[in-house]
Amino acid sequence: MNPHLTRRSLLRSASCGFGYLAFSALCQERAIANSANLSAKLARFPARAKRVIFLCMSGGPAQLDTFDYKPQTGNKKHPGSVFHFSQHGESGLWISELMPETAKHADKLCLLNGMHADTGNHAQSFHQLHTGDRLRKRPSLGAWISYGLGTENQNLPGFVSLNTAKPQVYSSAFLPTVYSGTPLGINGEDMSKATIPNIAGDHLPDSLKRRQLDLVQAMNREHASLRAEDEALESVIASMELGFRMQTEAPGLLDTSTEPAEVLARYRVGHSVSEGTCKPSDFGRQCLLARRFIEAGVRFVEVNHGSWDQHQNHRRDLKANCEATDAPIAALLEDLDQRGLLEDTLVVWGGEFGRPGLTPEDGKDETGHNANGFTFWLAGGGVKGGHVHGKTDETGARAVEGKVHFRDLHATILHLMGLEPNELTYRYEGRAHRLTGPEGGQVVREILA
Amino acid sequence: MSFSNYLMLTACGIAGFVPASLVADDKEKEKAALAFFETKIRPALVKHCYECHSEDSKKLGGKLRLDTKEMTLKGGESGPALVAGKPEESLLIHALKWEDNLEMPPDEPLSPAVIADFEKWIATGAAGPRTGPPVPVAPPVETKTTHWSFQPVENPPVPAVKNAAWPKSDVDRFLLAEIEKNGLKPTGDAPAETLVLRLSFDLTGLAPSYDRVQSFLADHRERGDDAVAALVDELLASPHFGERWGRHWLDVARYGESNGNDGLGRNPTYPHAWRYRDYVIAACNEDRPFDVFVREQIAGDLMAAADDVQRDRQLVATGFLALGAKPAKAMNENFEMDVVDDQIAVVGSGILGLSVACARCHDHKHDPIPTRDYYALAGIFKSTETMWGMAAYEGLTAPSTDLHVLKTAPKWSPPAGFVETVVPIQSDTGKPKPIPKSKWPEGTPLAMGARDRPAPEDARLNLKGESTKLGDRVPRGFLSACVMPGEKVVEKKSDSGRLELAEWITRSDHPLTARVYVNRLWQHLFGEGLVATPDDFGIYGAKPTHPELLDFLATRFVKVHGWSTKALIRELVLTRAYRLDSAADPELTEADPDNRLLTRHLRRRLDAEAIRDRLLTATGELDLTPPDGSVIRHRDIMVQLAGNLHEPSKHRSVYLCYLRNSPPAELAPFDLPDALAVMGKREASASPAQSLFFLNSPFVVEQSRLLARKLITPGRSDEAIATDAIRRIFARDALDGEIARTVSLVRDADAQLADRQPDAKLRREWAWATACQALLATNEFRYVD
Repeated sequence: MNPHLTRRSLLRSASCGFGYLAFSALCQERAIANSANLSAKLARFPARAKRVIFLCMSGGPAQLDTFDYKPQTGNKKHPGSVFHFSQHGESGLWISELMPETAKHADKLCLLNGMHADTGNHAQSFHQLHTGDRLRKRPSLGAWISYGLGTENQNLPGFVSLNTAKPQVYSSAFLPTVYSGTPLGINGEDMSKATIPNIAGDHLPDSLKRRQLDLVQAMNREHASLRAEDEALESVIASMELGFRMQTEAPGLLDTSTEPAEVLARYRVGHSVSEGTCKPSDFGRQCLLARRFIEAGVRFVEVNHGSWDQHQNHRRDLKANCEATDAPIAALLEDLDQRGLLEDTLVVWGGEFGRPGLTPEDGKDETGHNANGFTFWLAGGGVKGGHVHGKTDETGARAVEGKVHFRDLHATILHLMGLEPNELTYRYEGRAHRLTGPEGGQVVREILA
Repeated sequence: MSFSNYLMLTACGIAGFVPASLVADDKEKEKAALAFFETKIRPALVKHCYECHSEDSKKLGGKLRLDTKEMTLKGGESGPALVAGKPEESLLIHALKWEDNLEMPPDEPLSPAVIADFEKWIATGAAGPRTGPPVPVAPPVETKTTHWSFQPVENPPVPAVKNAAWPKSDVDRFLLAEIEKNGLKPTGDAPAETLVLRLSFDLTGLAPSYDRVQSFLADHRERGDDAVAALVDELLASPHFGERWGRHWLDVARYGESNGNDGLGRNPTYPHAWRYRDYVIAACNEDRPFDVFVREQIAGDLMAAADDVQRDRQLVATGFLALGAKPAKAMNENFEMDVVDDQIAVVGSGILGLSVACARCHDHKHDPIPTRDYYALAGIFKSTETMWGMAAYEGLTAPSTDLHVLKTAPKWSPPAGFVETVVPIQSDTGKPKPIPKSKWPEGTPLAMGARDRPAPEDARLNLKGESTKLGDRVPRGFLSACVMPGEKVVEKKSDSGRLELAEWITRSDHPLTARVYVNRLWQHLFGEGLVATPDDFGIYGAKPTHPELLDFLATRFVKVHGWSTKALIRELVLTRAYRLDSAADPELTEADPDNRLLTRHLRRRLDAEAIRDRLLTATGELDLTPPDGSVIRHRDIMVQLAGNLHEPSKHRSVYLCYLRNSPPAELAPFDLPDALAVMGKREASASPAQSLFFLNSPFVVEQSRLLARKLITPGRSDEAIATDAIRRIFARDALDGEIARTVSLVRDADAQLADRQPDAKLRREWAWATACQALLATNEFRYVD
């Protein structure tokens, strides 16, 4: 198959109003053809999850005081947990006192306690968590998934990133721009005011807006037909259409005032915690919006809270970070469960790395970064609940069993979404690229339900 | 001799072996200390450390040896392993405690008891008889690399080509030789209609008028290449050239008119930053030689000035060093070094094309930039006082600094009747506090910038980038890896060394400066640089597609054109290569998919500024005179407390207010840089946000209305209006069917709006506004072939 002709014809078909699903099916076919040099074998999996909510905890959440219980052993005090832990649910998962609400959903959680990453540098590890690469601009996880699967709702983007950071973390990079994340609320702006700029305009009746766009697109197609080799122009035609369609659904989705007071209270919408490194993020509103976007058919929603980088005042700031996120996460899990969405929605919690533990009673309250061992958790979408995979050593300093690298996490998420992790590729600058990088990722099969 | 002096001298290679007894004056104590070492420390070292950190190690870890005293004190990649008497400052202890990503031994930490022994040992002077041969100290500045960009610029011969008729210049011969080597032929020339648009946007950022296009086409029919040269000269001489190319430099200079979020949500304005913007625009228009331009920005305050006008200009230029984004001062021990880091980053990535900043915490992992070089530069900037101004009177964000007072700039006054309503907030109570009185009389012309501190001094290595963990002192100097003759140290110790740095950077034999700059120029004209990563010429950066051509251009730029930006641009746009069509046969596109051989021209989306300027040009609303100052020149306030500070403007986009974290809404959807770091190459994305901007933004809706109002004149037919609209918007005549299509939309709109607007005249205006908006929203309007 000729990659260039195929890509053009694909984009053309997308811009002419073909559904994303058809589009994505073709994409995968093409991508797989292009990736023949990377893998000769082709496996297909049934999808266990249809959508993803990524609870991104930037700064390096302290796993030893949240989900990776490290009690003292032996006579000498050593680094470990300094908050109280107890067992929860039928599974008896150990969860810290800082996460009382999330702990009520212990049986839904699948803890990955053996995470490890390449670097303790925030920016690079954060970039790697999102794109698989530490340094170069690469498509974000959400963009890859949109590329692979499209969106279930053609009036909305496939990937939305709430309270987000730099564009590099939600970028589609070399993938067509329709797969790029749509940011909503940037740099910690007040989430209640976060909106998609220019999402509505009352200068024309809706029917006339469509008629107007028809002229734009007719001229665009003519323009593009005279420049037949240009993929970018085709991509713009598609994104023009998506922008137009977003007008019909996005404003309603963003308006949370229609939610019952009980729901708003449970998610703690409007309740922000601000203490030390813990920045106000209205995390409750983010979680609620995530549920609403997922319900409306968005494929991948990222919500953000930070910073968990409490170098000093570890106890105080960690407490604040947990308080800011615990109840909203619990509310989200509860709602997804009750609405039957958890079955095929994968919830992912974690940050760019973890932190070393404090030693009880030594008077110190400072922590650093630890990329050698930390925790993620998954819930819903085809993973075991009430399950622990992987472990760190006695001090929690490094993963010793069930080690999972970011590329393995990525591979597992793609697998759960029914995509072949190491086969989902895109040809760019003369070679096939994939989320899992040159090394490829290993699906963590032990956690599949 | 104190112990720390001893350490320093050892590192400098002056002192030989000094007995350990100097640290313990009491024989008994020394004996006890030695006994402690032999019973507690040496066994632990042998058992846990020597496998990787001794003479017998198969592979020495981190270049650190712990089996001799000297080697231990000298340390490895991370610096000295211990500071006798100060366990808390000793890397060895941090490593044993598994702190700060230093984790030794790597498999599992030693027991707290053993670590306590080590702390005690170091606290009592780190005695121990471990001796070995005296260690030669490596010369402080010798970093060898074979990486291409550090090697001297060559002046390669122009290659021969088969098709001698095609090239118009030597640049073309370099390109064609590669194309022919690959068995290809370049695509055809772009039509003259395309060329005039391309040149206008590339050189001035403005669309040509329909009439200008027509006059060029007539001239081109008559004079051919001479007409092109005449157009190029006209555009280069236009005052709008500097507005276009100045903005390119402002991207490099991470120009912003506020600090940006300091990490605690506070974002103070920079009311005087615009003077630097105007300086850059003027410098581009005056075609200040690039070497002078760079020297002024790094050390203008230290350069001689013939008069006060020049003095003022050079002071404003140093704003380059002051207008970076800073993290909050509060609780930040590294604040001062964060400011320095920003300066090193902008000089490094912006001028040298190297991410020197990585070396703040460790020897650069990939590029030949040792941490030592970083602190050699840091000493220069630490000896410099950075003048950012009041920072909205919030010391927790940044302490207030002095500013340069200009002698020749006119006094100014805030808008009549203006009273500041955004006041500072007391950080402890959250209550408003009065605005402190300025130390200057109202209207004093001020500028951000830099000047030398009274007592310049060398910086000390910051271990792991922490300014509280200090290592050796590093003499102020420059990058050791650049292959060029001469010492790379600051000679005049009584100065910061900025002027010497600026002179070193702009030496005609500097391997990086000219290469990096000509590559930037190339990229803005051809869409991709010869080096695709304009801010990174290091090992992680892209390799040049045409290394000989790059060197040829760098040599010509310096030796022939005397660092003249306009002369090099002129040379480049008059090449055959620049004139190529962006369309090409599919076979050619297949053979050169990424256009690395430059077999065609790249179609490009206009950048944010050009899109807005083109909108205002099409509607005839653009005010081409530069405004005076900035909308925030009289406001030293927190942006986040102020709501929207932007005001409607019809001036060119470059004059809008570039607040960090609060960009102008009319530019924000189009990949505006965040101004937090050097941005040599902007994204040119297409996003739904851009679609929505054209479909709904009040700005586009308003401009469409204004255009409709201008188009409709008494008695004018719909067809005549459509003809005019297309000429104004696209600077060309309508293609087949376009007029009919446009008029058809207008008629449909008129019918659909009947119930909303009974007045036929107003309704016609509205319907035409709808059509104009559609034309403005097309791809043709924002993509240039």
